[in-house]
Amino acid sequence: MVVNPWRNGRPAIKPLFIKGPSLGVRLFALTVLSVVLMVIDARFAALQPLRAQLGLLLTPLYYVAEVPARTWDTFHQLTSSRAELIAENERLRAESLLIQRQLQKLASLTEQNVRLRELLNSSSLVDERVLVAELIGVDPNPFTQRLMINKGERDGVFLGQPVLDASGLMGQVVEVMPHTARVLLITDAAHSLPVQVNRNGLRAIAAGTGNNEYLELRYVGDTADIRVDDILVSSGLGQRFPAGYPVGRVVAVDRDPGHPFAEVKVAPTAQLNRSRYMLLVFSPESAYGEVLPALELAGEQEQNGAQDEGEQVAEPVAAETADQASEESGDAQ
Amino acid sequence: MRNSLLIALSILAALLLSIMPMPSPLDLGRPMWLAMVLAYWVMALPHRVGLLTAWVSGLATDVLYGELFGQHALVMTLVAWLVLLLHQRIRRFPLWQQSLVMLPVLGIAQMVLLWLNSLSGNRPPTLLFLMPALVSVFLWPWVSSVLSVLRKRFHVY
Repeated sequence: MVVNPWRNGRPAIKPLFIKGPSLGVRLFALTVLSVVLMVIDARFAALQPLRAQLGLLLTPLYYVAEVPARTWDTFHQLTSSRAELIAENERLRAESLLIQRQLQKLASLTEQNVRLRELLNSSSLVDERVLVAELIGVDPNPFTQRLMINKGERDGVFLGQPVLDASGLMGQVVEVMPHTARVLLITDAAHSLPVQVNRNGLRAIAAGTGNNEYLELRYVGDTADIRVDDILVSSGLGQRFPAGYPVGRVVAVDRDPGHPFAEVKVAPTAQLNRSRYMLLVFSPESAYGEVLPALELAGEQEQNGAQDEGEQVAEPVAAETADQASEESGDAQ
Repeated sequence: MRNSLLIALSILAALLLSIMPMPSPLDLGRPMWLAMVLAYWVMALPHRVGLLTAWVSGLATDVLYGELFGQHALVMTLVAWLVLLLHQRIRRFPLWQQSLVMLPVLGIAQMVLLWLNSLSGNRPPTLLFLMPALVSVFLWPWVSSVLSVLRKRFHVY
C-alpha cells in the first residue's frame, strides 16, 4: 500500500522541499504593499470606506476591552453605601438648584443678546444643537491623546466636529466610522486651536503638548497682557470650534528676556481624562460637513465675506485673521 | 486545516489585550502582545503561520489604533520575517535564551514603528517607546509556555 503523502490537500509531513516564492520575495512584496497602502492612506481618501467597514467589524473589540472597567463601575455602584448615595443625592440637588438659578438669569441674558445681535445685523446664533456621546475607549498609544466615542456617521457625526464636556472644550472628531468616531483631544501634540483671553480679548494659539495636564500658548509676546488665572475661551477664528467655550485657565507665565516669546502654560478646563459623557456640537460655525483642508476653508470664507456683509459686522477681526489663524494653528490636522 | 481556530483566537485575544485600557503610567510599557503571539506561532508552526498572517493581523491593529493603514502591517511582517529567519535555531533554545533573541527583534519592531510614526508627524519625545519591547521580553517565557501548552492540548500541528 502506498502511503498518500497528501491529506486534505495538505502534505501530511512538513514540507521541507516544497516552497512557494522565497522568504525574501514575500517580505519584499508585503513591504511594498504596506508602503503603498500607507502613502494612499496619507495622501488620498480612497481607503476611507475600507477603513470604515473594517472598523465596523473590529469595534466590538473595544466594547469587550471595556468590560472589566464597566464591571468595576457596576460593582462600585452596587456596593456603595446608602449613606454615600444620600449624600451624593443631596449634593446633586444643591448643585441643580444653583444651576437653575443661573439658568433663569441666562434666559433673560440670551434674549437680550439675541436682540442686541439683531440690532447689529448679525447672523450668528447663540444656541447650538448637541448630541450626547459616551466614551467607549481610549487610544492604546500612550503618545497620542485620542478617544473613541459611541456615535458615528449614522448619528450624523462629521469630520472636524467639535466635542465638549460639561466644563469645557475637549477636542474634535478626526475619524468617522458607521457607529463610532475617534476624537482628537486638544492636548494632543498634533492639535492646536485659536483662543482668546476672556478678560481682554487677546488672541493666541493654544497648542497641545502630548501631556493631558496642560496646553501651551504659542507666540505670545513678552509684553502681552496675560496673567495667571486668566480664562481662555475659544475664539472661533479657525472656523472649526464655536466661539466662546472655555478652553483653559492660565497656570504659569514665564517671561524670560532671553526668549522672544513668553512661555504660557494653560490647564484645560475640560476633564479630559475623566469625562465619560461628552457633547457633540452641531454649530453653525462648524457646519461645513466634510470639508477638511484649511485652504478650501479660506476660499469659502472669502466668498461668504463677499456675499454677506452682515457676518463681517459681527466679527470685524475674524475676516482679517481667520486665514492666518487657521494656517498657523493647523486646525485642520 | 486542523484547529486553525486556536491560532485565530489567540491572535484575536492579542488584539484585545493590545487595546485594553491601562492606567496612565503603565501604558508606556504595554506589552507587544500581537508581536509575541505571532512570533510564537511562526516559531512553532512556520509552515502554517507566516508573513501573510502577520500582515493581515497588522492591518487589523492599524484599524483598531486608527493609525496609518499598513503601518503595523509592515512592522508585524518584519517581526514574522526575522523570526522565520531564526526559527530553526531559536526554537531549540531554553526560554530565557529565546527572550534574549526576542529583545533585538522586538526592539527593531518598535524602532521601525517609531520611524513610521514620525513620518506621520507624531514622534514621542523620549526613549520610553522602547519600554514595550523590554516588558515583552520579560513576558516572553510565560506567553510562550501558555501557548505551547494550549497547542499541545488542542493538537495544533
